[in-house]
Amino acid sequence: MFFQQLLNGLTTGAAYALIALGYTMIYGILGLINFAQGEIYMAGAFVAVLLLATGQVNFFVAFGLGMGAAAVVGVVLERVAFRPLRGSHPLVPLISAIGASIFLQSLALLLFGPNDRPFPIQFDFTTITVAGLPLSTLQGAILAAALGFMLLLVVFVRYTRYGKAIVACALDRDTARLMGINVDRMVALTFFIGSALSGAAGIMMAIYYNATYPRMGLLPGLKAFSAAILGGVGNIPGAILGGLLLGVAESLGAAYLSSGFKDATAFAILILVLLIRPQGILRGRGD
Amino acid sequence: MTAYLLHLAVLSGIFIILAISLNLIIGYAGQVSLGHAAFFGIGGYTSALVSLHFGFPFSLAALSALVVTGGCGLALGLPTLRLKEDYLAIVTLGFGVIVDLIFLNLEITGGPDGLVNISPPRILGVTFRPRGLYIVLVALVVLMILALTYSLVRSYHGRALRAIRDHETTAQVMGINTPAYKIMIFTLAAAMAGLAGSLYAHYITFINPESFGLHTSILLLAMVVLGGMGSIAGSIVGAVILTVLPEMLRQFKDYQDLLYGGLLVGLLILRPQGLMGRGKLSLKFIMRKE
Repeated sequence: MFFQQLLNGLTTGAAYALIALGYTMIYGILGLINFAQGEIYMAGAFVAVLLLATGQVNFFVAFGLGMGAAAVVGVVLERVAFRPLRGSHPLVPLISAIGASIFLQSLALLLFGPNDRPFPIQFDFTTITVAGLPLSTLQGAILAAALGFMLLLVVFVRYTRYGKAIVACALDRDTARLMGINVDRMVALTFFIGSALSGAAGIMMAIYYNATYPRMGLLPGLKAFSAAILGGVGNIPGAILGGLLLGVAESLGAAYLSSGFKDATAFAILILVLLIRPQGILRGRGD
Repeated sequence: MTAYLLHLAVLSGIFIILAISLNLIIGYAGQVSLGHAAFFGIGGYTSALVSLHFGFPFSLAALSALVVTGGCGLALGLPTLRLKEDYLAIVTLGFGVIVDLIFLNLEITGGPDGLVNISPPRILGVTFRPRGLYIVLVALVVLMILALTYSLVRSYHGRALRAIRDHETTAQVMGINTPAYKIMIFTLAAAMAGLAGSLYAHYITFINPESFGLHTSILLLAMVVLGGMGSIAGSIVGAVILTVLPEMLRQFKDYQDLLYGGLLVGLLILRPQGLMGRGKLSLKFIMRKE
């Protein structure tokens, strides 16, 4: 029972962590909370589900295209809703992001209708026993894929030219520009990567819950933001740690405390973190 | 027809109070609250519960709503208003979700069905019935709120708040206790929203969680941005337009949220000062360059 709840928590936590990475990277480079991150997650899931429903594409192509579509939504969003407002009072892009989030959500509602869509293809997942403990292969696959994406991101940011350029922009945008880095392009790249990761999380959760619907991004988006704060906003390993911790806390809370208030756990943790340690577990740039 | 116009007028009055209170947070303290509808709801439920269970008269019920929502605002503002503006936005959004869950899950709030049979107010022997004198009561409260807000924003405290919004560090250097001011205005705004909730509950006479969700919080935000952040007159205009317009465009109900979202982004890019933001209270600093 405990192990099962732990595993459930890690699985949803992995999705929170992927979305939180998007929040944290964008916050790191622009100081902006992209409220529409949850809608990008939803967009990724929808594109993959619609592609698979046609029966013409295989799973991996649909997964890749879903991530790509989410990335494009993110980049377009940055271009339309955030770039024209750069340099204004921090309140202005924040409200713009909220507007964009509502816009995308209601657009999805108009295009796809309010009902849940099941995932179009069936996988034959089973439960295997690892070291005497039951493990669902579905959860195993989601965890492995999520950890793979995180590892790729960390390697990209630490060891590649473009990754280092993003870090430079996050540290000091003006100096980065003086060093010949095209800051606008790096911001767009950040949105591209962060959104692709959120899209991947959306597709995984569409499989996990077997449901895709227009408002699916609302709560995961909010919880992932709490996760980013918990880990230390602007800090990449922090976002991963925060996401996994939050998923586990939520799952254990629902199992042992109260299931009706499951969705409240994340916000209770958020408020506690802000009271006790606003910079997060691993020091971020939040305060 | 007259009854319908009266109904729209009462609703507009209630939303004017809500929009002004949110504008105090946005346009004067430079913060965003995304859970403002939660205060509206807490006010409504508090007022309804004390009048249903303890038989409180309207004046006492409204006062309870004022005190309880003010207390919630204070409790929420204390940990978050010392930090950057983004945190308040998220925490209030989360607060809205939690409050919604509480309304839905508790037995005392009636779950998804809400509360019914809330009595209309009776003050000094006069009963303010929904289709009759209620508009007078709402108008009086709106005038009181307007008088309070105008005297606040034109006082020393109002100037201090604007200084905080425009440049927090400079305001601190000038000796303004910035966290205290932000917490004060947030508490006041929450209490005002609570009062609006009380007026709403005793007007509609039944309430359920649906009226106080995220949708309403976003609607309030759209009212403030449309009218102009930092403009009290703007909030009145924004509240009236976005109360009356959806009623006239009933057949486009599905497109409402799309409109609000698009409106927020479009206005901020094309006309960040809103409809009425040109005047003395305009928020021109909000668009200052780095």
